[in-house]
Amino acid sequence: MDTVVRVENLSKEYRLGVIGNGSLYRDIQSWIAKLTKKDDPWTEIGGQSKVGRRERFLALKDVSFEVQRGDRLGIVGRNGAGKSTLLKILSQITAPTSGSVKIKGKVASLLEVGTGFHPELTGRENVYLNGAILGMKKGEIDRKFDEIVVFSELDSEFIDTPVKRFSSGMFVRLAFAVAAHLDSDILIADEVLAVGDAKFQQKCLGAMRDASENQGRTVLFVSHMIGSLQQLCNKGILLEHGALVNSGSMDDIADHYQKLLAGS
Amino acid sequence: MPTTKTCEDWDLVITPKDKVLWIDIKELIQYKDLLKLLIRRDFVSVYKQTILGPLWFVFQPLMSTIMYMFVFGSIAKMGTDGIPQPLFYFAGTMLWTFFQGTLMKCQDTFNSNAGLYSKVYFPRFTMPIAYTVNCFFTFTIQFVLMLIFYVFYLITGTAVRPTVWILLTPILIAQLALLGMGLGILISALTTKYKDLRQLVTFAIGLFMYVTPVMYPLSTIPQKWKVLFYANPLTPIFEMFRFAFLGTGAHNVIIWGISMVATLLLFWLGVVTFNHNEKTFVDVI
Repeated sequence: MDTVVRVENLSKEYRLGVIGNGSLYRDIQSWIAKLTKKDDPWTEIGGQSKVGRRERFLALKDVSFEVQRGDRLGIVGRNGAGKSTLLKILSQITAPTSGSVKIKGKVASLLEVGTGFHPELTGRENVYLNGAILGMKKGEIDRKFDEIVVFSELDSEFIDTPVKRFSSGMFVRLAFAVAAHLDSDILIADEVLAVGDAKFQQKCLGAMRDASENQGRTVLFVSHMIGSLQQLCNKGILLEHGALVNSGSMDDIADHYQKLLAGS
Repeated sequence: MPTTKTCEDWDLVITPKDKVLWIDIKELIQYKDLLKLLIRRDFVSVYKQTILGPLWFVFQPLMSTIMYMFVFGSIAKMGTDGIPQPLFYFAGTMLWTFFQGTLMKCQDTFNSNAGLYSKVYFPRFTMPIAYTVNCFFTFTIQFVLMLIFYVFYLITGTAVRPTVWILLTPILIAQLALLGMGLGILISALTTKYKDLRQLVTFAIGLFMYVTPVMYPLSTIPQKWKVLFYANPLTPIFEMFRFAFLGTGAHNVIIWGISMVATLLLFWLGVVTFNHNEKTFVDVI
């Protein structure tokens, strides 16, 4: 088997509540007080000093799993289970606190549709900008441009209009069309299908499935829509309170998740 | 990256902290198309739906020059070392605008791109670089305008004379850009945690102009204060630029050397802080 993603003992810790006292001036006062062993002027009465107080929260606890080439992995879990944190680490947006992730091939991550779209620029300009932000080269976008426009079902006269005049549906379709044409080995997507109408959602699922089955691309997909997940994914993992509680075939995971929801 | 490699070769290894002490040039080159598009975006989007469009680039320094001629030249009667006032003030405004513009744009990198940075990974340095290049474009347009004035004064035989030092202009401009960007990215990394630093920066930069020889030559400063001015890495840039083009101004190579070292150190400090911040800022902002 060809492992393309290996996640080993991954943990992510967040500091909760106020970070410092919120302003440099107060932090310096607290810090000076600490140095001179006086009382912190910003301590709440009867409370602890805010500086040095450690309120921590583990968003991910020791998560390990592997993904094989061509797999479509669904990641499920309730709100706050750590799904988005996991994807953020995989997409290099935030660093893990401990553990490691090893990846083979080019990663494209789609945590939001239309990231980097600028309202003043035209549809055409935004396709190029968004494509480049997602890691495409200009030549690649040149070649795929017509395909992208066709996929987005946008009338051709709109493509040279500033996107601030687009309807939200048009905006999302164009943005997703760019993402669907990313040439990557691994695609990471977070709840991106929640937008757009049912017909377009089906089209996107079809495109992702096709990319995986025919081009050997690997997909990591987070969604709350169990139906879409079962339609697209062959494998799944279930997260609960930051820990990996089950992994296996998507159907088993979906059952487990449904039970979890019913139980709570 | 020294990880325990077995038989497999990984393209990307994500670990808690990989301290980077310099800019990853190789990665930036991979994203050069993005860099070009970002530069274009910033250039175009500012002037869409404006009447004067790119004419603003020359309108602003011209108005400032007229204002400075009035306030510093006619009311305060500060000297210009015999250089025609329009040329003296325009050169000063142009250089200062470039420095200030770069710094102000770069110091907002994390704040203004928070949405983008928290959703997609691309080399974070593309943004401050694009800002700096944009400010450089503005500067270039203004520089051409200055050259037009300059040639006019040369032909009419006024007291301006170029020196060989004119050949150093690209280095001076590069130094100014490095200083603006270096300070900018340093501040941008600090402001993600302390938002009130932004207020401080906005007015501190305004005040700082008055202790930099922008609107007056260093020669008008009393001897006892000069040391203070030499401690400012911007001083030699302004003075040497004027000496190169106009023939008056301090051109002390040692002081310039010191300011160059300070510039490079500040820039490097900025890079290190920026790199350190980019891995964690999403959790803080």
